[in-house]
Amino acid sequence: MKKYLSMVLAIILIFALSGCSGEKKVLIGLCQYGEHPSLDNCRLGFIEGLKEAGFSEGSDYSLDYQNGGFDDAVCTQIAQGFAAEGCTLMVGVATNAALACYAASEDNDTPVVFVAVSDPAGSKLTEGNITGTCDKLPVAAQLELIRMLQPDAETIGIIYTVSETNSVSTIKEYEKTAPAYGFRIESIGVSAQSEVTLAVDTLINKGVDCFSNLTDNNVVGVLDSILEKTDAASIPVYGSEVEQVKKGCAAGAGIDYYELGKQTGRLAARILNGEKAEDIDFETIENYSVYINPDKITVLNMALPDDVAQKAVDVTK
Amino acid sequence: MERFINLTVSVLTQGLIYSILTYGVYITYKILDFPDLTVDGSFPLGAAVTAVLLDKGIDPWIVLLIAIAAGAASGLMTGIIHVKFKVRDLLAGIITMTALFSINLQIAGSNYSVARTTPTIFTGFPATVLLGTAPLPVKKLVIFFIIALAIKLLLDLYFRTKAGLLLIASGDNEMFVTSLAVDTGKAKIMGIVISDALVALCGALVCQEQRSFSATMGTGQMVFALAAVIIGLTLFKKAGSVKGTTCALAGSVVYKACIQLAILFGLPANLLKLVTAVLFLGILIIGKSREERNA
Repeated sequence: MKKYLSMVLAIILIFALSGCSGEKKVLIGLCQYGEHPSLDNCRLGFIEGLKEAGFSEGSDYSLDYQNGGFDDAVCTQIAQGFAAEGCTLMVGVATNAALACYAASEDNDTPVVFVAVSDPAGSKLTEGNITGTCDKLPVAAQLELIRMLQPDAETIGIIYTVSETNSVSTIKEYEKTAPAYGFRIESIGVSAQSEVTLAVDTLINKGVDCFSNLTDNNVVGVLDSILEKTDAASIPVYGSEVEQVKKGCAAGAGIDYYELGKQTGRLAARILNGEKAEDIDFETIENYSVYINPDKITVLNMALPDDVAQKAVDVTK
Repeated sequence: MERFINLTVSVLTQGLIYSILTYGVYITYKILDFPDLTVDGSFPLGAAVTAVLLDKGIDPWIVLLIAIAAGAASGLMTGIIHVKFKVRDLLAGIITMTALFSINLQIAGSNYSVARTTPTIFTGFPATVLLGTAPLPVKKLVIFFIIALAIKLLLDLYFRTKAGLLLIASGDNEMFVTSLAVDTGKAKIMGIVISDALVALCGALVCQEQRSFSATMGTGQMVFALAAVIIGLTLFKKAGSVKGTTCALAGSVVYKACIQLAILFGLPANLLKLVTAVLFLGILIIGKSREERNA
């Protein structure tokens, strides 16, 4: 019984002690959906954006960064923890984390800022004290890039996860836009990460001319094993973000998630300066960059047109 | 201090919501000795049905009933696959769970959000009348407390009826029940149906609380519920004086408290799961050592 009592006391003490710190200071609670290079860039960019707008971490605000590990229930608890702490501002990185923060703010009117939500209106993240940035993949730019690097290509293979909203909506966009560039899309929807490599084999056997990636968490998570297979078959993979091209995709037109984060950080600064989140419309990032991996392009015996080389960012440099 | 109270309210609320899921798994895992993997599919099924129906403007309490029915149907499917077609228990659950993944996507897509203006059981009648202008977290806590307690009492009552006793007996000693010329298959199916009905109800409650459904929300719920049941039984089961349902309820709250503590420790975010695991291990060891001392 004594031991039991001491355990309860210890727990209470931990709660109480953690309640003492950081009084009357601006506290930002940031919930990131999971560990993912793009999402990490969002977070780091966000902190940088705030800094550029005059808010430095530590001196001007303290940051409570939590990672949900791709678990919705954990995100819920994290967000409710933020509400309990009395955060000045809650930040949700990726849709599900944003939804958790938004739900936790239902009664206390804490402003919520979201980063990297592809469809804020569809996710009903537009009403109330909330704003943020939307990441829409530059599908047309990607198709144009593929056409320039592979003038004879006909089919593009895409693997996506059927349970990821962003991927499902982007696939539709691809299918709508591809014919204008003379492509046919061969897509396979998977429900788990373990199915991705099977899907790669299937698409290679179907004879696709190249692969194009979405920002699909499941698929991007096993990019290395995808590249292993495509390299063996000498098929180029086009990434959707700089980190993917660094890993070994031939090229890619994508959003710079660090920039997206910075843009969101500036939005957050406006709220910290007194503006209401509900008065600020969410922003969609339109700027994209083209990234190339010249080493990979050489290995795959592809020609690199000069106009692509000039405007693209070389990730090996 | 205010923060401590707020966090306690949040942990209790989460623990109470998920206790409904834990009851369900307690029935299959502990009473029937049937590891029912349907859970990972029936939990989001309840949420998917709820999200779509709430959005259509149907009364949130009626939505809960429909979610229960949907869950019961999924349990019925697993039960029939296992009992009538003699498919192994784990596999029967996996089949239904796999099918439900597609069905859930069919019902609500990969994500489905409910607008803030749509009434839920917390913002609609009778919560508004009974609890008036109490803050939303308090309303949630009270409502979930009532629901969790009511279901616990109902289950306790059920286990004392003839059907309930048969259910327990089927899990304890199948041969004995068969020797009484009673069909254990029916009792098993009944147990699985009740279990998945509860699991879907939990999914529906989570959806009403979070105002959103995501196709992946079921992943890991079985693991959570198993851990909660085992923690509850290890910590609170003392020579049959505490009811199993009470243990399940307590286990769920303790589990959620562990997660909250792990979040609070403020360690690098990636260590969250490790901290949670260490906390569980600690609890189980403490529980075991107490058990030995009592014996």
